[in-house]
Amino acid sequence: MTRDQLKDYIGSKYASLMTPLDTGRFDPMFEVKADRLFEVSRALRDDENLKLDFLCNMHATDTRENFEIVYSIASITTKLRLDFKIVMPYQNAEIDSVQEVWPAANWYEREMWELFGINVKNHGNLKRFLLPDDWNQGHPMRKDWDAPDFVRMPEIQ
Amino acid sequence: MGLIKKLPYYSEKIPGGAIVLTSLEATLQFAQAKSLWYLLFGTACCAIELMCTGASRYDFDRLGMIFRASPRQSDLILAAGTITKKMAPRLRRLYDQMAEPRYVIAMGGCTVKGGPFYYDSYAVEKGIDHIVPVDIYIPGCPPRPESLMEGCLHLSEKIRRQKLSDWQEK
Amino acid sequence: MSAVRTEEFMVNMGPHHPSTHGVCRLLLTMDGEKVIKIEPYIGYLHRSIEKICENRTYHQCIPILDRFEYVTAMSCNYVFSLAAEKLAQIEVPERAEYLRVIMLELNRIASHLIFFGTTAMDLGALTPFLYALREREYIMDLFEMTCGQRLTYNYIRIGGVSRDIPAEFVPKCREAIKIIDQKVDEYMALLNGNPIWQKRTIGVGYLSPELAVAYGVSGPILRASGVDFDIRRDDPYSIYDRFDFEIPVRPNGDVFDRYMLRLDEIKQSVRIISQALDGLPEGEIKAKVPLKFKPPAGEVYSRIENSRGEMGVYILSDGTEKPVRVKTRGGSYNHLQVLPEFATDILIADLVAIFASFDIIMPEVDR
Ligand code: SF4
Repeated sequence: MTRDQLKDYIGSKYASLMTPLDTGRFDPMFEVKADRLFEVSRALRDDENLKLDFLCNMHATDTRENFEIVYSIASITTKLRLDFKIVMPYQNAEIDSVQEVWPAANWYEREMWELFGINVKNHGNLKRFLLPDDWNQGHPMRKDWDAPDFVRMPEIQ
Repeated sequence: MGLIKKLPYYSEKIPGGAIVLTSLEATLQFAQAKSLWYLLFGTACCAIELMCTGASRYDFDRLGMIFRASPRQSDLILAAGTITKKMAPRLRRLYDQMAEPRYVIAMGGCTVKGGPFYYDSYAVEKGIDHIVPVDIYIPGCPPRPESLMEGCLHLSEKIRRQKLSDWQEK
Repeated sequence: MSAVRTEEFMVNMGPHHPSTHGVCRLLLTMDGEKVIKIEPYIGYLHRSIEKICENRTYHQCIPILDRFEYVTAMSCNYVFSLAAEKLAQIEVPERAEYLRVIMLELNRIASHLIFFGTTAMDLGALTPFLYALREREYIMDLFEMTCGQRLTYNYIRIGGVSRDIPAEFVPKCREAIKIIDQKVDEYMALLNGNPIWQKRTIGVGYLSPELAVAYGVSGPILRASGVDFDIRRDDPYSIYDRFDFEIPVRPNGDVFDRYMLRLDEIKQSVRIISQALDGLPEGEIKAKVPLKFKPPAGEVYSRIENSRGEMGVYILSDGTEKPVRVKTRGGSYNHLQVLPEFATDILIADLVAIFASFDIIMPEVDR
């Protein structure tokens, strides 16, 4: 399947779950509603023609208005690749864990919780791991994060 | 340590003691300067250069520098690599576990002053001299093996100039 | 044996431990010599590279990403440039593509040599370490000749490479890969027949292919478990589809296979390099990329195969000079995640062997 065929395939089969976005510059990009996340991940992994069983990457982005959580997935057998994202408001950000589908999501979700303060439901092991144990200055990857001893790069003119 | 520190005091009282002291001093300094065993404390990129220096082409061993895995057997910490805020207490603990006299070489920009890139990082310690006293600074990102060896030679120079009576706990 | 009452106890391994390759801390729950639970603690090298990249322009990001995976810094340069090129749809000149492939493969060899040396050292053999680093110096010389640095190169830039290779590069490179190709056979002869080496590696640390895929394990470790997947062939980037090379795959998934697979890969990299040197065209080495590089708004995830598996960079751009978000993905992050799964009746000495065979490097995990 080429990239365009993949786009069409998903457009026809999962139209109600995944909306294509045109921001993806290389691989197809879709948007998924937060409450359908688990359903979508299951379907993508178990679909006979897709078999997207490999979670390449997963991360959160702070766009100053809301959080975007991007899942980059691929397949070992069918060699396909696609991204989908969830857009959620800044307040009380919360997602479902997809560990049941891709166990690799464990640490990615933990990292998101730690650095962005996005709560992950049904994770089971949300413990601090990247930052020092006595860290008490909030979630440093947020754009508005600041700390007394944090030096900023001067603006480039 | 205690005995050696008191040596100058006692030996000056006996006739000819100063001569013994001088030769003892020279022997000790020679022994120390020529067999600096360093603790393998590589955290980041500089550790790879440290490995290269220890291996075949540059051959650290000919300066009498042999790596040790335990702080209790080493005279010197070669701090190679970024020290983050999370790692800093561990570095201090390793330093405290070493026997006197002990030395520290800061290898690479990160240990000298927080590195060439990490000034706006929230996690990097800006220089290890906040944590442990440093004897020699070697800048570079990473320093070449030659400059690392030069730094070590400077340290042995420094040790050879030390008097027994200078020895004191840092 | 069940009559003997045993008690569990905890052993702390790291963060400063000679065999953890950096600053990884493992909290082991032990029952006698057996490890029954492994808990990795990371973050001792968390330098917030991603946050720093948000405050830099695209060109300034490249030298920082050198430090993201310093053993194969060329591939970090490359994966970021690839992502930026995909964003802005930049065509890279032919000669630059060839130079990139040569550098990437040389760096893969250098990284596998370090793996070979340190793994053997962790298992108690010091000689291979000295041999491997001796051969690695040939490659370091080549890199120094081209970009002036031994470890952090900043050579591959957006749109091409930073400078052309000097005239003596090609003959020296041919010589170097010839030597390395011979030496790899020597390494195999040195270790493979050694009964101690065999006892410590064969059958130790089996990783099943299902588990590997589920945990996102990639690269040599995945292929040593019998899964035939390599991004160079299956999601081709650059000009890898023009070269004739094999992807070594091994079925057993133990420490020995992971070690052998990397030595096989060195041989394949040598093949790629010699083909690339033969086909090296003349011409431009860099596309015209403005200093104030502003890619159009959009997002892209690019991935390549480096010596530790899949390396990826995600960039979100809003059309300004600085990226909104840069996320780096390194193979070791997933490899360390799968380590707790091994805690079924292994000895602590085997854990060292498994850890070494994973070739984990901490900045990739902590970033
Ligand atoms: S000084 Fe440079 S090479 Fe050394 S640890 Fe710091 S960033 Fe890495």
